[in-house]
Amino acid sequence: MLALCNFWGKLVTVAGFEADDTLEQDAQLVQQCLQGDGSAWEELVRRHTRRIFNICYRFTGNGTEAEDLSQDVFLRVYKTLGSYRSAHGGFATWMTSVTRNLLIDHYRRTKRDRITDSLEDSMPVVENKESAGRRPDQQLLLGELSSQVQTALTKLSPELREAVILRDLQQLDYNEIRQVLDVPEGTVKSRINRGRIELARILQQMGVRPS
Amino acid sequence: MTWTCEHIEARLSDYLDGLLSPDERHEFDMHANSCENCAPMVAGISQLVGGLHSMAQIETPPRLVYAILNQTLGPRAAKKGWRATFAWLGALASPRFAYYGVSVAATMLILLTAAGFSWRKPKLADLSPVNLYHTANSKAHVAYARSTKFVSDLRVVYEIQSRLNKDNELPTTPESTVPQSAPGKAPGSTDGTRPATPRQQNRADGLGRELEILATEVPVVSGHLCGQLLGRRIP
Repeated sequence: MLALCNFWGKLVTVAGFEADDTLEQDAQLVQQCLQGDGSAWEELVRRHTRRIFNICYRFTGNGTEAEDLSQDVFLRVYKTLGSYRSAHGGFATWMTSVTRNLLIDHYRRTKRDRITDSLEDSMPVVENKESAGRRPDQQLLLGELSSQVQTALTKLSPELREAVILRDLQQLDYNEIRQVLDVPEGTVKSRINRGRIELARILQQMGVRPS
Repeated sequence: MTWTCEHIEARLSDYLDGLLSPDERHEFDMHANSCENCAPMVAGISQLVGGLHSMAQIETPPRLVYAILNQTLGPRAAKKGWRATFAWLGALASPRFAYYGVSVAATMLILLTAAGFSWRKPKLADLSPVNLYHTANSKAHVAYARSTKFVSDLRVVYEIQSRLNKDNELPTTPESTVPQSAPGKAPGSTDGTRPATPRQQNRADGLGRELEILATEVPVVSGHLCGQLLGRRIP
């Protein structure tokens, strides 16, 4: 009977009638995980993988890096699950905060590589920079989405980029973003505003007209 | 306070996210609509935000979930014995498979019903390919005949309707102008008046021919009478 209920729950979720009590379900799954229930952890992973992968992909602009970072995020969440307190906010917000910290760490760690890459990119090359060295699945991803917007996003500074991603792509509200970034709400507003203006300016320089 | 371009740029996201008070919104609109620098900027960023909101989520690579689970829970122990044999059944208990199953069952239901399979008295013989073919063939012919008849009926109805409409569309003639048949003059009479209808004319012609034959065969008796009726001399 329990399995049937679980199956029906999945069916309803797939059909798009997602229940509003996601927060409660997450908290319950976390409790079950802490009691050593592997299936509860598996359920948590399945529920949040897509969102975390999307944040990582939007931030890095690279499918492979996004996959690696998503794995790192879940590994860290799994290890620090005991430190999560539901009173401080939703599990999704807490997980987004972990993701954000890892992304910033990753950004700082790879900064030197990117400077070298940008120097190499500035050298004249004959091959197409868009498709060179990119796997077919990455090209498919870029084909599905607006690759110009993704390119412009990666040109934003990390502070503005994360603010725009959380607000406009993950559609978090200001309070959630404040919790994730751990900055005052005024700073959140300012970053979102500057991020949007800067993104529009970069797209304009690229000759892209948003529609 | 009159808003400047700096105000507009600083409060643009508040405007787009609906965080301005009605007064502030009014001031914003007043400036943004009249300023040639701010109007395109507001429009452009509004479009950009709308575009970002409508961007679809990227599909997760299928291997990612398994990679995460392997890293956290460790590689799963391989199932042995009869569990391994029926392990694939677990994959069937997914919502997607349920949708596929329901759609395939619905398709089979429609096809079998169309092929004449009786659900009240199911027989194994009904499922044999020969019987299925014959039933489907006859049903297809019946369906074709019915559709042809339906189209034909529709055509007749349409013709009748169009004729009725045509009659209704004709202008009504005033009573004074309706041609009246001459009183006392029978249809087909030879006094110079035209018969009322072609049918009357035909009848008159036929009568005339019969009288001519009668006059030829019995000239003495009927010559005068026929001559009078036809209005001319019979030779």
